[in-house]
Amino acid sequence: MSAVRGPGHHPDDTFQFAPSPSVRLPRDASPVEKIRLAVALRNQWLSVGLSTQPAGRSAAEAAVSRLYVQAGAPPPAFEWVPSPLAALRAVQAARPRYPAIQPPRQLVRQRLREWPVAARLASLETSLHSRLDARIRRTEGTQWDARAANVGTVSMYAPEDAVLSGLSDRSVVVATVGRSLRGTLTDSVAAPLRAALAEAIGQAVDEDELNPGGGVIAFHGQHGAAWIGYYDARRQAGFGGYASADLAELDVWATLAKSAGWWWPGEGLCLMAERPVAVHTEPLVGSHHGELRLHRADGPALAFADGFGVNALHGTPVPDWVLSGPTPELIHAELNIEVRRSGIEQLGWDGYLRDGGLTLAARCPDPGNPGADLELYDDRPGIGWGAPGRILVVTNGTPEPDGHRRRYGINVPGDLDNPVDAAAWTYGLAGEQYATLARRT
Amino acid sequence: MRTTLTLADLTARTGLDVLGHLEREVTIPVIDGIQAQGDLLVIPIALLATDPAGRARRYVSITDSPRWHEVPGAGIEVLRAGTGGNPHTLVADPGSCRWTTGVIDPQRLALGALTATAVAYLIHPEHGGSGIAPGTYIIRRQRERRGAARRWTGFPHAGSDDQYIAD
Repeated sequence: MSAVRGPGHHPDDTFQFAPSPSVRLPRDASPVEKIRLAVALRNQWLSVGLSTQPAGRSAAEAAVSRLYVQAGAPPPAFEWVPSPLAALRAVQAARPRYPAIQPPRQLVRQRLREWPVAARLASLETSLHSRLDARIRRTEGTQWDARAANVGTVSMYAPEDAVLSGLSDRSVVVATVGRSLRGTLTDSVAAPLRAALAEAIGQAVDEDELNPGGGVIAFHGQHGAAWIGYYDARRQAGFGGYASADLAELDVWATLAKSAGWWWPGEGLCLMAERPVAVHTEPLVGSHHGELRLHRADGPALAFADGFGVNALHGTPVPDWVLSGPTPELIHAELNIEVRRSGIEQLGWDGYLRDGGLTLAARCPDPGNPGADLELYDDRPGIGWGAPGRILVVTNGTPEPDGHRRRYGINVPGDLDNPVDAAAWTYGLAGEQYATLARRT
Repeated sequence: MRTTLTLADLTARTGLDVLGHLEREVTIPVIDGIQAQGDLLVIPIALLATDPAGRARRYVSITDSPRWHEVPGAGIEVLRAGTGGNPHTLVADPGSCRWTTGVIDPQRLALGALTATAVAYLIHPEHGGSGIAPGTYIIRRQRERRGAARRWTGFPHAGSDDQYIAD
């Protein structure tokens, strides 16, 4: 969670599907031109992953049928539903067609053709990944690349700057395409969607985290753009080709990503979900690689036609009350600390402290943070929050763009009576040590 | 690096950006004691030789054969929060600063250790710059107490009652 929301985020931005400009690599492309093309391709695939267009049903069905045949099964019947939640409910209603998928260590003892079709399709996908990765490794060889850099280092540069600064273009493409698409589509969209599905069907996320339907496998359709886009951008931007059979197979998955939402393959039946009707995002502050996260303060950030959706504030998934009417009582009762924090931030820390009935236990100047105090509050006893604790309210060392300094609370153990001891505890220090803090930014 | 860099100098030298409203023309103080940058704390290693109660020698220590990384001109990200976090980047003149994650910290708050023969800087888009005087320091992150009732979040917390703060 960001304690500071910088400029450059537009909470009401709705992602628009961008028509694909045609991009082509010049014959004598320089590393910078290759990276420029890779970034353009990344942005196209990001649009695919965030598309809110109605599904291209015939293209999607043809692609799924082709995968079924490749997996040794006849093409299935198709049923289209408006959201992944509707699809999961339909899966539950058609359970005989969706045999539970056993854990891999049990599956491998059976013959492949006896596997449920969903497991065979998953195996097709992971095998394709392995072959493409192996091809990339062979293309790049084992030759030492003196300009190679780790993804973290590359991420600090704008992609073209990274190349101009002497980092190898092949390191840059991993960061600016692979990591960027995965960060947005997999971590910031598909993961919260999966959690919302698990919650909606009344299943704890830990029961079967990977399979919100309980022993069924969801395929992520448009969100597969995260991996498909990476392999595709590499090839089109001149970082090496793939075996023609693999390229043809990648194309089938690409077609699916461009035409449908999540889908659940069963025996003779495949449930297909439409894409969302709205996706609201904000750019990641400070990212040079086009990463986005879900964010909308006045409604679901990811919304489907049947009303199912995912609420998210600055990337944190939140329940309805956080958006519709956060109150100190609801905040107190919330067990998830990030949700509680989001609720407080919606309400505002000052309002929360004023109305929340918290009792000030102690206050003193904040070492290294001139003009700011550390305040220690007692929790309201007996409500939420678990065992009695205290809340240390601190003030950012750096002002916001509007000049005020943000205050926020940190949960600390209840046996700390001195605000400096409490602040010290958050960093594992003694109060006397923390009292010497020279500067806070 | 020099001891009289401004935030404007530092962003120009490293190519790292900070938010537009931060004061750029003031010299960044260079400090040899404890200083905080948001959720990170830079602590001289000598202060962590004993536990908070003053017992236990070698309380927090660098491992016996740590893998040191030379901090390149482009810097090393010492922490980037998962969703939506901004990086804290350690920057220094090449050859003047090394970084290792090989640190034993019973409180499990240490991200790593740096040892610098010239001034090094931590830079963050929202917090600006922090100047670090030559010496050896542990960088710790900040924690928060978790409520007693827990909900599985998909991430193991290794039995800890606390969780990290990411800003």
